[in-house]
Amino acid sequence: MIKNHLKIAWRNLKKQPFFTFLNVFGLAIGIAGGLLISIYIYDELSYDTVFADADRIHRINLDVKFGGTESQSAVTAAPMGPAMEQDFSQVELTTRFLEVGSLLIRKENDINNVKELKATYADSTFFKMFGLELLYGDTATALKDPNTLILTKAAAEKHFGIDNAVGQRVVLNDTDTYSVTGVIEDMPKNSFLREHSVFLAMSGTPEANEGNWGSHNFPTFIKFLPDTDVDAFQEPLQGMFGDYVIPYIQRYFPGITEEEFLASGNYFKFSTIPLTNIHLFSDRDSEMSANSSMQNIYILTFIAIFLIVLASVNFMNLSTAHSLRRAKEVGVRKTLGSDRSSLIRQFLVESGLITLLALVAGITMAMLSMSFFNSLAGKSLTIPFMNPWFWAILLGATILLGVLSGLYPAFFMSRFIPVKVLKGTGESAISDSKVRNLLVVFQFAVSVFLILGTLVVYQQLDFIQNKDLGYSKEQVLVVQDLSALGESAPFFKEQVRQLAKVKSVTLSSYLPTPSGRANTSFFQENAPSQEDAINMQAWQVDENYLSTLDMVLVAGRGFDPKITTDSTAVIVNESTVAILGVTPEEALGMRISHDIGESNPVYNPIIGVVKNFHFESLRKDIGALSLFLGTSADNMAVKLESGDFSKTISQIESIWKRIAPGQPFGFNFMDDAFDTTYKAEQNLGRVFMTFTILSIIIACLGLFGLAAFNAKKRTKEIGVRKVLGASVGQITYRLTMDFLKLVGVAILVSLPLGWFAMNKWLEDFSYRIAIDWQVFAVAAILAVGVAILTVSYQSIRAALTNPTKSLRME
Amino acid sequence: MIQIKNLKKSFRTEEVETLALNNVNLKVEEGEFVAIMGPSGCGKSTLLNIIGMLDNPTEGSYNFAGHEVAGLRESQRTQLRKGNLGFVFQSFNLIDELTVFENVELPLIYLKMSKSERKEKVMAVLERMKIAHRKNHFPQQLSGGQQQRVAISRAVVTNPKLILADEPTGNLDSKNGIEVMNLLTELNQEGTTIVMVTHSDRDSHYAHRVVNLFDGQIVTESQNRAIGAII
Repeated sequence: MIKNHLKIAWRNLKKQPFFTFLNVFGLAIGIAGGLLISIYIYDELSYDTVFADADRIHRINLDVKFGGTESQSAVTAAPMGPAMEQDFSQVELTTRFLEVGSLLIRKENDINNVKELKATYADSTFFKMFGLELLYGDTATALKDPNTLILTKAAAEKHFGIDNAVGQRVVLNDTDTYSVTGVIEDMPKNSFLREHSVFLAMSGTPEANEGNWGSHNFPTFIKFLPDTDVDAFQEPLQGMFGDYVIPYIQRYFPGITEEEFLASGNYFKFSTIPLTNIHLFSDRDSEMSANSSMQNIYILTFIAIFLIVLASVNFMNLSTAHSLRRAKEVGVRKTLGSDRSSLIRQFLVESGLITLLALVAGITMAMLSMSFFNSLAGKSLTIPFMNPWFWAILLGATILLGVLSGLYPAFFMSRFIPVKVLKGTGESAISDSKVRNLLVVFQFAVSVFLILGTLVVYQQLDFIQNKDLGYSKEQVLVVQDLSALGESAPFFKEQVRQLAKVKSVTLSSYLPTPSGRANTSFFQENAPSQEDAINMQAWQVDENYLSTLDMVLVAGRGFDPKITTDSTAVIVNESTVAILGVTPEEALGMRISHDIGESNPVYNPIIGVVKNFHFESLRKDIGALSLFLGTSADNMAVKLESGDFSKTISQIESIWKRIAPGQPFGFNFMDDAFDTTYKAEQNLGRVFMTFTILSIIIACLGLFGLAAFNAKKRTKEIGVRKVLGASVGQITYRLTMDFLKLVGVAILVSLPLGWFAMNKWLEDFSYRIAIDWQVFAVAAILAVGVAILTVSYQSIRAALTNPTKSLRME
Repeated sequence: MIQIKNLKKSFRTEEVETLALNNVNLKVEEGEFVAIMGPSGCGKSTLLNIIGMLDNPTEGSYNFAGHEVAGLRESQRTQLRKGNLGFVFQSFNLIDELTVFENVELPLIYLKMSKSERKEKVMAVLERMKIAHRKNHFPQQLSGGQQQRVAISRAVVTNPKLILADEPTGNLDSKNGIEVMNLLTELNQEGTTIVMVTHSDRDSHYAHRVVNLFDGQIVTESQNRAIGAII
């Protein structure tokens, strides 16, 4: 019997190539999309599970409110880890990191530096904590001694040409000499250490051993003993605040108690987060790698399900619509003694066959689009063909999809009454199109929803990228790794400033693009209580900073190195003034200090108030900020005249090479750096758009097939109408309107849902657009336009048919 | 073989109820050849459908070979129909996607017959209907007469007790029509009971008995004296 089913199924598919194509293609798109998204999600969920005992490893989080600012950070104080190991029997092991950032490395006897993008100090417990082995070297000693480091295999090969670099000596940033004591396999791609290539021995940093509970720079990981109740651990963990942090605060505010600290509205909270949750659930300051968010996973899951459901709905629609052709067969088979279950089985075999074809086509599509998808998602994923689980799940899902898609048509068609269909009145038997209409409404509702989503994501991105940030990032060139210049940085600045196409140049500790920065607590003169503290960032800038970046002063003046008192002066932003509770004018002349409690505090007079500018992600509000006149030369920003930049850049490069031969010259444009901050949103936008287009294609395939069916079904009606004098236009209008009504209902259903969902998404941004009516109009017009294009071809074709032909068919 | 008593069939649409068959009483003996005639819309096909268990009567009783059929569920009717009844339609109703052989084989598959047995039976009936040389063709590659011979092959391959024919020559030219009627007569002579709906006076002469329907009621019944007299 199954052979008979297969045979007739195959012949049916061959006989209606157009219908088969629509079905297979639609399903294949759904399968390909679902497959790609599943692989993506699987990868995202697998982060940091590669480490041994990953389930026992947690990171310490710290939430602080102090001095008018709240912060959620992924770092804690240096003594935190060692104290935990000592105080808690549940804690088996702790490992601290201290991020270095990018690093210039050269071999001891070489003058040419090569850059490594991510380096970090690490405790020697690193290997034991994460279950890592060295390719060369001994884990028992590798990160023990000061001025030793280990390299990943890729870094070792990059610098030494061989992987076994143990025993080699290198110079970091042209200052410190280190010995290589180990080479380790490259860090797993799906781990928080994926970009790190250099690990330096923690014992070499004085800060690690100082016991400063007020400075938070150390990502700290702990490994619990098996079967530790982590929830119950939170309370004793918080106890460390009273045990260690309060005594530290008392140095500055003698006699202050924990209760007093909390009573003023401040807080200091420790918590733990499982290592495997960091990638998707942690979005804190000073994360060791950029994380993703569970929200994206939900959105993608939602899109994948939509795609597959859309394709499945398509299948149901086309199959039931086309059942007119099969009505006679059903009638004959029933007359000859077939029971309903046998017919159902037959139709399921057919849908199974189509799904199988779609599976092959879908995998092919997924393979072909993998590299495109990778660039879209910023990943390097592959389809795990060698994994038996992959095939098991894929086949299982495909069979499920085939059965689910085929079940409704099978029940629908097997219900045909032979007496009716054999008489040739099959149309009446299947004219009940309520379900089909409902399905079309559903498909278009999903499409309109996704169109709306795409529009909102893009509008928000556009809004962010073009928002007045309070400074100008256009035509600003940022020269990287200024540390390679050492003392020559001011000289370099001066040389660059003299170039023809250079407007101005500034050296500073930070640029207003997001980066890892710490807060410092300041106090007003005469009000040295912890309630009146201002916790804010303190940047060192030169006198050209404000003008180079087009920042605006709302009160006071900028720095002038000729005025000797400016060396202690400070410029604050509007947020700081707001915390002080004064107007910008009133703030001028007020004095603040960050070393109150010391014997001889230095006071910093406010000489200017700068208009608020964004220096963190637009997801966050603008915090308090202070600028000091300094000599720090970590960053150089060059404002260029408009025109051809390449010539100026090569001039700057040649100056660089003259001053610092052998040092790599690197640069980027500030607006590019800014854009990378919103990479997650951009990726989301592109993913949204791609899958929106796919879902629209699927919906259109379905609509196209339905329109063809409808035109065919109404051939006689069209013929009669034409004989009676209807014009082609009238008939086309009539046929098209039937579908447009459905699209209209879909729009009415999905717009409010879309509005609700996208407002939820926007809530994440402190600075966001309001969704205006034009977005709804555009989404609706797009949907209607696409529907008209899809349907009108069939409608016009049907309307143009010679009526004698269509009437003869009866 | 067939005993119909006070049979009524009505169709209901939203507003009107149409009585298609009204108090029909009919008896068909085993081995008979009965023709049902009447103008369009008189209820011929409805009656044939009920006799063929494709439809249920609204009222009355229908006894087939000792089984009461009225009120049976579809699945029960299917069971009773299998192997006992053969159908021949005006429009042949062959399945376009199946070959001649496969079309004829279909009822045997539903009877769960073994493959070798099926092949034997199908070939025998195709030989007999002189269409065996076309066994691998698809219906649309055949002439109307050939298609109807395939349809008859399909109807008789299970050796049914009763063949129901709904205007079997309606779509055929006179030469092919006569050939089909001769085949049916031959089958009848071998013992198969035949009930045939027809518009054609000529075809009705092949039957032993003609039942005339008008507005859902049997108005006359007449015996044909000379069977096959006009051949």
